[in-house]
Amino acid sequence: MHAAPITIRVRRTPSTQHSALLLIEFDRLSKSYGDLLAVSDLSLRVGEGEVYALLGANGAGKTTALRCLATLLRPTAGTARIAGFDAAREPLEVRRRLGFLAASMGLYQRLTARELLRYFANLNGIDGEAAERRIDEMVEAFGLGEFAERLCGKLSTGQRQRVSIARAVVHDPPALVLDEPTLGLDVLSSESILRFVEDARGRGRAVIFSTHQMSEVELLADRVGVIAGGRLAAEGTVAEIVAAAGEQNLARAFLRIVREAA
Amino acid sequence: MRTVLAKELRETLRDRRTLFMMIVIPTLLYPALMVVIEQLTLFGQRRLSERPAAVAVAGADTGMVSFLRRDSALRLLPPDSATVQAVRRHQAEAAVVVAPDSAGTRRVRVLYDPSDDRSQRANGVVRRRLEAFKDTLLARRLAGAGLPPGFATPLAVADSSVATAKETGAYALGRFLPVLLILMTLLGAFYPAIDLAAGEKERGTLETLLTAPVPPREIVAGKFAAVALIGVAAAAANLVSMLLTFQSGLFKFAKAAHVEFTLPWSTAALVLVGLVPLAVLFSALFLGIAVRSQSFKEAQNALTPVQLASTLPILVITLPGIDFNAALAAVPVVGIAMMFRALMSGGAPLVPCLVAFASTVLYAALALHFAARAFGREEVLFGGGAGAPAKGGWRARVEAWRAGPRRVPLAAEALAFVAAIALLYFHVGTALQSRLGERGLLASEWGLLFLPALLLVTAGPFDARRTLALRRPSGRGLAAALVIALAGIPLGWAIGWVQLQFLMDVPKELFGALEKLVTATSLPRFLWLLLLVALTPAVCEEVVFRGVLFQGLAREERMWHAVLASALVFGAFHLSGETAIRFLPTAWIGVLMGIVLWRTRSIFCSMLMHFVNNGLAVLVVSRPEVRHLLMSDAGEPNWWLVALAPLALAAGVWLLPERNTENG
Repeated sequence: MHAAPITIRVRRTPSTQHSALLLIEFDRLSKSYGDLLAVSDLSLRVGEGEVYALLGANGAGKTTALRCLATLLRPTAGTARIAGFDAAREPLEVRRRLGFLAASMGLYQRLTARELLRYFANLNGIDGEAAERRIDEMVEAFGLGEFAERLCGKLSTGQRQRVSIARAVVHDPPALVLDEPTLGLDVLSSESILRFVEDARGRGRAVIFSTHQMSEVELLADRVGVIAGGRLAAEGTVAEIVAAAGEQNLARAFLRIVREAA
Repeated sequence: MRTVLAKELRETLRDRRTLFMMIVIPTLLYPALMVVIEQLTLFGQRRLSERPAAVAVAGADTGMVSFLRRDSALRLLPPDSATVQAVRRHQAEAAVVVAPDSAGTRRVRVLYDPSDDRSQRANGVVRRRLEAFKDTLLARRLAGAGLPPGFATPLAVADSSVATAKETGAYALGRFLPVLLILMTLLGAFYPAIDLAAGEKERGTLETLLTAPVPPREIVAGKFAAVALIGVAAAAANLVSMLLTFQSGLFKFAKAAHVEFTLPWSTAALVLVGLVPLAVLFSALFLGIAVRSQSFKEAQNALTPVQLASTLPILVITLPGIDFNAALAAVPVVGIAMMFRALMSGGAPLVPCLVAFASTVLYAALALHFAARAFGREEVLFGGGAGAPAKGGWRARVEAWRAGPRRVPLAAEALAFVAAIALLYFHVGTALQSRLGERGLLASEWGLLFLPALLLVTAGPFDARRTLALRRPSGRGLAAALVIALAGIPLGWAIGWVQLQFLMDVPKELFGALEKLVTATSLPRFLWLLLLVALTPAVCEEVVFRGVLFQGLAREERMWHAVLASALVFGAFHLSGETAIRFLPTAWIGVLMGIVLWRTRSIFCSMLMHFVNNGLAVLVVSRPEVRHLLMSDAGEPNWWLVALAPLALAAGVWLLPERNTENG
């Protein structure tokens, strides 16, 4: 019983305009838990070098959609693809091309930062010398040198955040899925995430992240999808969304879109 | 898998709790425990013996008093303290009351308090002294009569152990070491299992792990191998530490009692081999349960009853008179415990050992399957809802269920109902039956089974017709039910008979009691028995087991799960101390009734089967001609019937109508 959503589908972003390589794709994806429809008929695409923000209130369906993409949940209908591989049918191929980061960070308390990176490198099929080289690169790139030999449980929040990013990209995946990556972080810690996303875009990675922080979306996102009640209620650049909603800023536009979708 | 295993081992070994359970407890606890226990015992004994036992003596002559007084371990109290009250009030530790001489014998009674250590010791000391006095008197009498000292001792009996100190030690070892070993394997696997499953979920690392390009089964295998290895390592550490403690000479009591605790390397190796499938069983079971919990605490709560249920039965090995047979060998955990006992005592029978080992491997495989399935199910891993996995699960489902039409009880509701009824039946029903006999049985069936079921479905928010499967059966359904019942009954008898022959010794008098209950001597008596033993259970038990329970289970579980679970509960309901042998045959009929009910959707079909099953029992017991047709006097079924039964059963199943899915 949804009202007609404000749907702005303007194809002006670099990925779609210049037929850049399509890395992340939702095609009419629905997911329900029993009678509860968490995501309904969601379609969106993210190309290489593009950052896509999935904006929504708590329980809007962001996490469910991203978990379907990350092969953690099976869609009830439709597909989620990474680099052309179907998350439900070819989960291993998808996981090889996917860097997943959630708010919980997913660090093992009793492994050192270096051991953690080695573990995930091994799980991704990078072993021996190659793994050590890659870990050294990560330690260098994310400034983990000081605490690489310390147990993750003893690290500060900011340090853990950096280790967790390094963990997500240790296998150099083309697509990054970040589920509320800045949840519960202070401004300084959030900044490392923001820099990381910008860097990933520069390196041609496709990034999709969920959030309800307007400032992050304004800073980072090439395109935004507003998700409400499991449906994509609006999509476009920040400016397009603000304009189409007839509001002055993204926060107001978001509120309006969500209210009208309810 | 090896990557996961190595990481899990590394991380677990850095966990203080696990290390504590695995290394600190075994290496320090046993020596410490042994020394402390021994020192405390010695200390207690010394304290007890450091001052003489205060014993009041009444009625004794001066000869006896002076003989007792010469013992420095005794301090004599005046005769007025030689009363029950004085001993009860600890004014005297024991009292000796001597009666006057009667035909050459003076009766001596020692009053003491067995609930008091000092009084017990005083009893021992004074008894020994009195025996010595008796011997002195006897010797004096014999000498007076000119008889040799051996005259009053025509027979001097003494026993002498033929077992070596090692054998005695092995026997003692076999009674308690397996309990400790199994307990330690279990505890060794307990925390790692929780930590690697529920703990990983709680910390949010599980979803990260599951996005790595590794099939979930390898993750489960790695985790499970880590838990199992830790369980085995914990058990091995315990085993070694225990043996070193015994052999270190710290345990002086054992030496004094001519007991030597040793375990040959070959036995220890066999025990370790047996520990492997056991550790696998515990780890897989614990992992499977822990991963279904959302947090460490929840998993701990869920696992504690499982832990208790797995450890309490192994105490059976400490009991005397329990033989290690194939039946006991197949009981989970107990079988392996008995195998360890047999191995350590040095007399391990091959077949039961193989059965114990093979059945444990089978249980371990089943538990592993259970754990692997949990890892493959998203609702188990992430709860039911998006964003809030910790809360989404069952609450969301309960909410949705409340909102929806509620025709049949939930499985949990049905099980709780049956549990309540079982308690009621056990406490009230047994009392009714012992007080009112057959009328009590009738009253408890209708009042404690039928009535509560009726109340539940009418007072509760359920559809009574659906919950009790009150659907008019088709003629074909009834015919199939009849054929299946008639085919199933001889097979049930065969199961009972085989069970009796090979597995258990059941006193024959129990059957006598059962038979007396259902023996008819006249037609009215026969009809009364049919009402009491056949019709009443067919109605009352069916509404509970095939009605509320089966329908509740079938609502959430697969057909086979519902059939088996309801049949097991039905079998367990017929368990009592005397009728343990009825479990399997009853559960078997329960399975058949469940299948028929599933297909016909009519409780009247299973009622018919129940009636036929019980009615035939009445007929067999009351009509010798029928009995001779069906079984021997010893209860051995007619094997021709048993051989034909599967064919008839197949025909019955073929005759069963397809399950009709329309509402009714």
